[in-house]
Amino acid sequence: MLRRTDSKPQGYSSVTFLILGSYIVKATMATRRPARKLSAKGAGEGVPAEARASAAAGSPNERVLVEAAQNDAAKFDALYELHFERVYAFVASRMRDRASAEDVTSDVFHKALANLASYEWRGVPFAAWLLRIAANAIVDHTKRAAREFPAPNDPPEPAGDADVQASEMRVIEHRAQLFRLVGQLPAVQKQVVYERFVEQRSIKEIARRLGKTEGAIKQLQLRAVQNLRAQMEGSHG
Amino acid sequence: MAKRSLALQLDEVVQAMLVSLQPRPERAPDRELASLARVARGLRDLPREEFRATLKSDLQRRASMSESTAAAKAGTGEEQARAVHYMRPGLSAITPYVIVRPADRFIEFLKSAFGGVERMRMPAPDGSIMHAEVAIGNGAIEVSDGNEQYPTAPQAIHLYVDDPDATYARTLQGGASSFYAPTDEHPSGDRWGAVKDPFGNHWYIAKPRGWTPEPGGLRSVQPYLHLREAHKMIPFLEAAFGAEAMGVHTSPQDAVLHATIRIGNATLEIDEAHGENQPMPCHLHVYVPDTDAVYAQALRAGATSIEAPRNAPYGDRAAGVKDAWGNSWFIATNLGK
Repeated sequence: MLRRTDSKPQGYSSVTFLILGSYIVKATMATRRPARKLSAKGAGEGVPAEARASAAAGSPNERVLVEAAQNDAAKFDALYELHFERVYAFVASRMRDRASAEDVTSDVFHKALANLASYEWRGVPFAAWLLRIAANAIVDHTKRAAREFPAPNDPPEPAGDADVQASEMRVIEHRAQLFRLVGQLPAVQKQVVYERFVEQRSIKEIARRLGKTEGAIKQLQLRAVQNLRAQMEGSHG
Repeated sequence: MAKRSLALQLDEVVQAMLVSLQPRPERAPDRELASLARVARGLRDLPREEFRATLKSDLQRRASMSESTAAAKAGTGEEQARAVHYMRPGLSAITPYVIVRPADRFIEFLKSAFGGVERMRMPAPDGSIMHAEVAIGNGAIEVSDGNEQYPTAPQAIHLYVDDPDATYARTLQGGASSFYAPTDEHPSGDRWGAVKDPFGNHWYIAKPRGWTPEPGGLRSVQPYLHLREAHKMIPFLEAAFGAEAMGVHTSPQDAVLHATIRIGNATLEIDEAHGENQPMPCHLHVYVPDTDAVYAQALRAGATSIEAPRNAPYGDRAAGVKDAWGNSWFIATNLGK
């Protein structure tokens, strides 16, 4: 369950309330304290304290989108586009490797599509519903992995529990926004980011593939990261 | 020079991050680098673009299938009762006509694997089977040994059953080979397994969610055509048969991932041929209200004639055309008693 205050803040329309990010900021501001260690990855990474909803975190149209998809499964696309980065960021923060993160993310969206009819609009944002499915899928995956590949010497997968804390949510929203921004980088910077961070290629290999010097690739990597940092700061006002 | 050195410093942090099992690099020495390193750490979990696109396609395909299930359910009640006058009793608008040898053994397979009920068998003078009809669930399959004009042509059939696991096991006992055992992981969201029978037919054995078999319900038997340039089949069927395409889902490259096509009170499915699902030109028996009109439409839409309309001795107005993919369509209108 996404933890939340028991009642809606006065003066917030349900539409405003859908904006998950601001909802989290409210929760965070109310309970600000040193970040609790949540998992091996992701916790306490100095997300700007003023992090709040990205434009895509929710929109007044979201309810319309959900209802459209409930009536016509082909319209699920729009919800996928809106929430993919968020779900992936959440799952990846709790899984040890990329293959597991992809398996679980895939599972989450298939389950969401199959169970869309059961989602009811009762003040729980659609994103929160998705993340609850994700939290359960992560627990299932971790249990299954432990059963199929027992590895007593490995530390347990940092799956945590099915609760999603507000502070963790801030990290997730931040990550999701970062993933979206990568898509807006100049093409060559974007390519360097994918080659380096996703494919995990060496600078030398990337230089060879792109026909550039290693120094140029390092500069492009720096520019990309600087650009992303500037955008992240911009998007958090 | 300061900038260049920052590029090097950042790369050292990134390199340490990527090769290290530790989730976190050493404490960064200055604020500038530290803030860049935080961004870089976020990028470590960046999703693959290909994964994002593939999952989207999978979801579209699954959405398409659940849609066609609903549409097929909606279209088979009242309309079936109204439309039945031009169909031979026991057949819907689309029936797979499977030509394999020996047909009598194939019929035994249909009985043992799928609980098929033989409704008709017409022997040829040489003892082979000229024509037979086997009911499966609320659908039917027509069977023949074929002849020189109609050589063997196995096909792919999507079969809805009560218990996919048991049905799958019976197909293996009957000599089928498995593509994969029934799984809940199929993109359709249905429990779904796939086999190839000893006669070369593919069977997709599935149970849709919330399905109860009943005479007016979803069709038990749906032909599944794997085609090259599948997208061109849709306008052909629309023009030739007045078909209606439901839930067409395409890849970014415009390949048809899955589409359900409705003709009268029945449906067939198509997709772009891929992997082991290669084209299997086949024979389909289609009941329409006016054979002559549909035959003419089909030729205008690019089909070639196999047989011009004639009054067949079994009481149908019958014709045949071949489409550009090599499938034969036996067009028929039942002339009544």
